[in-house]
This record gives sequence, C-alpha cells and structure tokens, in this order.
Amino acid sequence: MANNLKKQSKSERAQALMREQQRRERTRNLLVVGAVVVAIAIIAVVMVVVSNKKDTTGEAVGAGGTPKNLTGAYSVMIGKSSAPTTIKVYEDLQCPICKSFEEVAGAQVQQGIADGKVRVDYHMVAFLDRESTTNYSSRALNAAMAVLSTAGPDAFLKFHTIAYQNQPAEGSAGVPDSTLVDWAVQAGADKAQVTPLIDDNTYHQWVVNATDQMSKDHVTGTPTIFINGEKQSDLQTGVQKVIEATK
Amino acid sequence: MKSWIGLVARLIVGGVDLAAGIAKFPDPAANVRQVRAFDILPEAVVPTVGHVLPTVEIIVGAALILGLLTRAFAVIGALFFIAFIIGIAAAWARGLEINCGCFGSTGVPENPQRQYAIDIARDLGLLICCVWLVVWPRTRLALDNLLFPHHERLADGEQSEEAVEV
Repeated sequence: MANNLKKQSKSERAQALMREQQRRERTRNLLVVGAVVVAIAIIAVVMVVVSNKKDTTGEAVGAGGTPKNLTGAYSVMIGKSSAPTTIKVYEDLQCPICKSFEEVAGAQVQQGIADGKVRVDYHMVAFLDRESTTNYSSRALNAAMAVLSTAGPDAFLKFHTIAYQNQPAEGSAGVPDSTLVDWAVQAGADKAQVTPLIDDNTYHQWVVNATDQMSKDHVTGTPTIFINGEKQSDLQTGVQKVIEATK
Repeated sequence: MKSWIGLVARLIVGGVDLAAGIAKFPDPAANVRQVRAFDILPEAVVPTVGHVLPTVEIIVGAALILGLLTRAFAVIGALFFIAFIIGIAAAWARGLEINCGCFGSTGVPENPQRQYAIDIARDLGLLICCVWLVVWPRTRLALDNLLFPHHERLADGEQSEEAVEV
C-alpha cells in the first residue's frame, strides 16, 4: 500500500515535471519566434527605406534642371498649329519597337510636319535603363533635352532620328557621353553648350518625373500613339493611320 | 514523405520569390509604375506598395528557402499569390495590355492574352505549394527543426506522422 502511494506520487511528480518542461519550452519557443520576427522586421524596414531613398520620383527639379523649349510640362509639340492631325507619341530612345516605328514612319512624319499636315507631340520617357549597363535610356533622353534646350525643336528632331539610327542593342553598354555629344553636335547643337549638360546629366530628375508622368497618363509601354487624342490600341493600325495622315 | 514534398515546395516558392524580388529591387520607380499599371489600387498607396513589394518577396523567399517560420511565411506567400492572381485576372478582364512585371520585366508582351494565362497558371501552382506548407509546415532541412526541436510537434498534433516517419 505504502509502496503503491509512493509510486503514484512518483508518476504525478513526473507528470508535473513534464508539464513544467513543456511550459518552459513553450516560453522559449515564443521568445525565439519573437526574436526572429524582430530581426526580420528590422531587415525589412532597412530594405524599404533604401528602396524609398533610391526612388527620386516626384522630387522637385532643381534650378536649371527643366529643359527649355518644351511646350508641355513633359512634352514638346513640333509642327504648325494649323495642322489637321495631332499625333501624340510616348517613346523611349532605348525601345526597339520605337526604333522600328521611326524606321517605318520617321521620314514621312518629318515630311508631314514640314508640309503642315501633322504636328507631333513628343512625350519622351526613359524606363529602359535596365536594358543597358550604363543607364543609356535616361542618359540619351537627357542628351535629347540638352539639344532641345540649346538648339530648339528642329535640332531635337534631328537628334531623335540620329539616336534611333544608332540605337545600342538591349543588354549592351550603350554609348558613352562623348558619343551623345557627337550626335548632339551632328543634330545642330553647340558643342560647348551641350557638353556640360550631357556630362552632368543635368535633366535627370526631369527625366525621372517625365517617366512617372507617362505611367500616370495610363501609358504602360512604348511606343504609344494617340491620333487626335485617340489612343491607338493596335500599334500596326496606329502606324498606318500616322502614315495616312502625313500624306 | 510529406516533409520531403514540403522541402521541395519551400524551395520552389522560395526560389521564385527570391529571384523575383532581387530582379525588382534595384529599380523602385519601375515597381511603382508597374503597380500603377494594374490600375487597381488608389494612387495614394501605389508608391508604398511598389516599394514594399520586392522587400516582402525577398524576405518571404529567403525565409522559405531556409525553412524559417515556415507556416507564417507560407501564409504571407499565399496571400500575395492570391492578390497577384486577382490583379492579373482583373487586368486581363479589362483588356489592359501590360506586363505583369513579375520578374522586373518591362514593356508590353507580344501576346498579352497568352502571357496573362501563363502568369496566372504559375501563380496558381505557387499558391498550391504555399497551401501545402500551411497545412504541413514541418519539412526536411529546415531551420525550424533546429529552433523548435520538440514541443511544437506535440502541439501541432504531428507526433503520429513523426512516429511513422522517423
């Protein structure tokens, strides 16, 4: 009997011990989870802050950082205001399909502008920086804006043509600033004037904001063509209509 | 067996998430534009979502690869895949021609309809992996096994499985 009692209390004690151990394990596990969660949260916050810092979208453009000779906040209209057809295009100088568009219709468009048949509202953007190792997309647009600022819309249009003719392949190193300066001079800009603008990437923040504006305009790719305000959902018909309008 | 399938599920979802997050992380402005292109969220939250998304993907991906708090991160992963599927389906239904931006890609795909279908199928597969991990979070080669050696198995009622397998 006494033996039996002893046994029972022993097993009871063992059970109590096990419960105590389980309780301790549970506390320990909660602490581990807490520590892991806190560590991960700190990493996450740091990453988001870095991401935030890196994105300068919407930051104010500094003094002298807005290109001259624009006709809209982020666009330049080229052509006579009496032209019956207004074409609005969103283009990226690194975009291969924009290059094709320029090859297929560029000459006609320029003729159409000269003849007063069309006017073109160029919304240049740069969202393809990842396609080159040197952020060619935004540097090329900065150079185009340097040409527009110092030599006017006609020179800008020439630069636009030259840049598409010599577009670097996607995934390449793009072209150096010195080449952009050469193109700018070829387009009619003054070398001494454009060189610092190109070397300093003067209009970079404006370029960032212009690209953001494209997205706010619900334009998700380039080239996007509007004819008299109507978005062309099918690119091929859009290009056909552009060529039609220039005749 | 289940714990091995769980390991594979962890590596698939974790690998895809990590790759997607790393591809997106360097260009936050593009991520914001991508979120905006779906035209679902209000503009007020679009930049925040664009900035947070790659970070979440990287952390969920890394945690699943390591097997760290597997169930919790599988739940987060599942919620995100549900959100992605809804977003892509909504874009498809409204005839938007956008790239899902899933791996930091840009531009418009050649055949958006087909691309939408592929993206949704992929996300559904990943969602299934996540659900599996939510139901059976104990997997092989997981940090969880080191951090929480015993008691959780009892709490989760997985003792029987353990007994059969080990």
